[in-house]
Amino acid sequence: MSDNFIERPRYVCALGGAAATIAALPGGIPILHSASGCAGNFAWAQNGGSGLQVGGYCGPLSIPSSNVQEREVVFGGDARLREQVESTLKVMDGQIYAILTGCVTEVIGDDIKTVVSDFRDQNVPIIGAETGGFKGNSYWGYDLALQSLFREFVERGAAKVKNSVNLWGVVPSADPFWRGNLEGVRRLLEALGLTVNSFFTSEDTIENIRGAGAASLNIVVSHVYGVEAAKLFEDIHGTPFLSLSLPVGASASEAFLRSVGKALKISRQKVNTVLSREKQAYFRFLEPLTDCLNDLDLQRYAIVVGDANYATALTKFLADDLGWLPELTVCTDPLEDEEKDRLTSQLNVLESRYKSTLVFETDGSRAIEHLQKKWPPAGGQKYHNAFSPAFVIGSSLERELAQTIGAPHLSVSFPVSNRAVLDRGYTGFRGGLRLTEDILSAVVAGR
Amino acid sequence: MSSIDLKSPPKREDRLKACIAHGGTICEMAGAKGKKSCLHDDGERSFTQGSICLILPALAMLNTLPDNVVLLHSAIGCGGCTHSQNTNVRFGSNARWGRPKDGVWLSTAMDETDVITGGEEKLEKAIIEADRRYRPFSITVVAGCVPGIIGDDIDGVVQRVQPQVTAKLLPVHCEGFKTKIWATAYDAVYHGIGRTLLREGEQAPTEDGLAPFKGLERLPRTVNLMNVSSMGRVDEVELERLLTTLGLDVNVFPVFAHPENMVKATQAALSVSTCPTHDDYFLGYLEERFGVPSLIRHMPIGIENTGLWLRDVAARFGEEEKAERIIEHEERELREALEVFRPLFEGKRVFISAGEFRALATARLLEELGLTVSGIRSFHHDEFAEGEYRKLANSSKDDYVIDIANVQPFEEANLLKRIKPDLFLGHANGNGTAAKLGIPTHVIYNTGLAYIGYRGVYEVARRLYRQLKNPIYNRKLGENLRLPYSDAWYTADPFSHIDQRGGTAA
Repeated sequence: MSDNFIERPRYVCALGGAAATIAALPGGIPILHSASGCAGNFAWAQNGGSGLQVGGYCGPLSIPSSNVQEREVVFGGDARLREQVESTLKVMDGQIYAILTGCVTEVIGDDIKTVVSDFRDQNVPIIGAETGGFKGNSYWGYDLALQSLFREFVERGAAKVKNSVNLWGVVPSADPFWRGNLEGVRRLLEALGLTVNSFFTSEDTIENIRGAGAASLNIVVSHVYGVEAAKLFEDIHGTPFLSLSLPVGASASEAFLRSVGKALKISRQKVNTVLSREKQAYFRFLEPLTDCLNDLDLQRYAIVVGDANYATALTKFLADDLGWLPELTVCTDPLEDEEKDRLTSQLNVLESRYKSTLVFETDGSRAIEHLQKKWPPAGGQKYHNAFSPAFVIGSSLERELAQTIGAPHLSVSFPVSNRAVLDRGYTGFRGGLRLTEDILSAVVAGR
Repeated sequence: MSSIDLKSPPKREDRLKACIAHGGTICEMAGAKGKKSCLHDDGERSFTQGSICLILPALAMLNTLPDNVVLLHSAIGCGGCTHSQNTNVRFGSNARWGRPKDGVWLSTAMDETDVITGGEEKLEKAIIEADRRYRPFSITVVAGCVPGIIGDDIDGVVQRVQPQVTAKLLPVHCEGFKTKIWATAYDAVYHGIGRTLLREGEQAPTEDGLAPFKGLERLPRTVNLMNVSSMGRVDEVELERLLTTLGLDVNVFPVFAHPENMVKATQAALSVSTCPTHDDYFLGYLEERFGVPSLIRHMPIGIENTGLWLRDVAARFGEEEKAERIIEHEERELREALEVFRPLFEGKRVFISAGEFRALATARLLEELGLTVSGIRSFHHDEFAEGEYRKLANSSKDDYVIDIANVQPFEEANLLKRIKPDLFLGHANGNGTAAKLGIPTHVIYNTGLAYIGYRGVYEVARRLYRQLKNPIYNRKLGENLRLPYSDAWYTADPFSHIDQRGGTAA
């Protein structure tokens, strides 16, 4: 890692993450208070990184934006913002609006709080967040947008409803599989008999989001993304939260359901019933793979490169579900030490007890150096225990790494430029089957 | 003192009086009805949607340069667009050298501390580390909004650090809030190339000083074919084919050109632009400093325009007769080949949206295929396009709408609901509005596809034929999705948010 730059950043800025988050809400309309190019930059980033998905109902180039110029830098942009919000309410048709600031308007110190509160006084469903790009990346922008939603939109004082939960931790667009992943986790929770508000799926409504304060538990399927928002939610609405790994595949899903069951005091018997039903179906699908998996010798060494959710979740899947040998796990997010510790501890408790080396490295092209520390290249000797057969699971930027070590490759973590993604997700038992299909299909593509 | 001596080029609203907010018609834009003062008094919208800034086209060029590292000095999100543009870098590398290769781009990822204390020191260290890690021939240091607003002096940093590194350092100014005309990006990149790689005073001494770069000779049959990334390799090949038939050698510049070889551009006998929106700034520089004359008039999209473009080049080399023979032959072959598609196109109404010159040239192409233009949205307007508006005004039976808008799909949605065209051609990431209204669509610019020259006409026709043969996908989108606009908006005047205040809004 460098202290001075980040190579090919695998995310955009806080503004980009917040805009994608708001746009993913039912009828969500972001209003950028920023320079004119921010929205377009997000459009092109999604185009190249989010599995061929750009925007949605109010996607990047449809997003209202004040497009501030030098004039606003000199005289301030408050008046322009007010004009933009007023005209937005005439032109756009939304259920929730969010003013999001960019670098320029934050440096010049525009006061969005007053603008937001003036429009709220007129009963406009509007919130605001300070998401200047220099505050952090997409993932932090997601957290900031959720904080604003919980603070300014979710109604306070709601009576708690038993077995009602909120779910978040999967970041729209920044995780190309966000829709499928959220639905996968939602289905797991519903199997336990819970009522789920997950904010961003087609089953969620703006009314349920407004009433999210009634949840008796918040479940964050991330050790980093949305965790600060969960703390804020607890402070404001009194709902405790669980921060769990993204449950990719069978083994992680089982652990996930047990943790949720315990937290909500669901009977062990009920959890076991759900698990046995899911596992029975899961293994029935796996059963006919048994011969080919063995006969084609499909076990692989692996390198995993991914964001804070995927790096550990994919490693666990490979080690604990597929029985593969993940030797190196590269997390490409810039993280605080405490966040790194949380991820490290996840890899210390794998069911298979397989040990992958976890490194925090923002610059993908250095993965090969980390690998070679552990697996030195051949030195001309007759017998060489090589890092082979191997597989690379990461982003589309890992194609060069895969080519270098002669391994097949699958893009899962942003950017995913070389796959089309719609409802596919890797969470839950079904997600584990999808991921097994995709990984093995890459291995046998030339068959 | 000319512009090239300044740290950054002037913005185009000053240099070319370019504008982005105007609602008019083809006859008005062609001067037939007494055009408004749009050129001198740009409008302002009270409602705006996001668009792009000059970082995006600048990076589209810079990421193609072999052996170059792009170092963005800005907040972490700037340059995220490269994830999409990297496709062009990979395909372009593969088409030229047989191997896909990812671009190398870095960000200093300026944070809150940098905003308070300044980012110059971080940038200095980043340049040195990038030089040592990647050992590139050049590092293009691209400044975004944040350094522009906190006052980081990237030119000063580059000057200080240059003696400590082996890479050539090119500062490129892309502070997005400073110009609303993103085409200023082309000037910004060319400015960096001109000031760093083709410096004044480094030419061979001659009486008038107008000679190629030191140690190089004039190549009397070589032309610079300017490409700022608006053409893929397939389009370059088509123009190379035509120019080679004229007996000329072609130097494509600057995309995918190794920075070390860029001095070759000073040796050419002529520089030829394919789009006046792109190259005028740099062609002026090559002409003034190195004596390379230039052509910047027509865009070789469409049958007529390709002929005009080729004739202009031929005339400079006394090859007019040869050009006529080529054109006559090419047109005959092409028109025969197009016959099979024409019945499907005849009379269908099309709406076009893109960068100004591209939109107008493509409109002519579509007319040549038998389609009727029913409206055009140009991303900006400047004086270079006036002749193109006249061509279209002359060829159209009816007047139609011209929307000058830096994207702004809300105006487009309103217009499309009224005009109900049979086909829409829009820029990348700009076809969604029409598609969700159920209109067949096709992308007007994609570096993997052919658009230019005679081959381009044929390939565009083939692709449109496919789209129109089975337009059911968009029709179903239209039946099942809705755009994010209020019902009231569709009944309002599409240009009601353009107030023509001339930039005096508080």
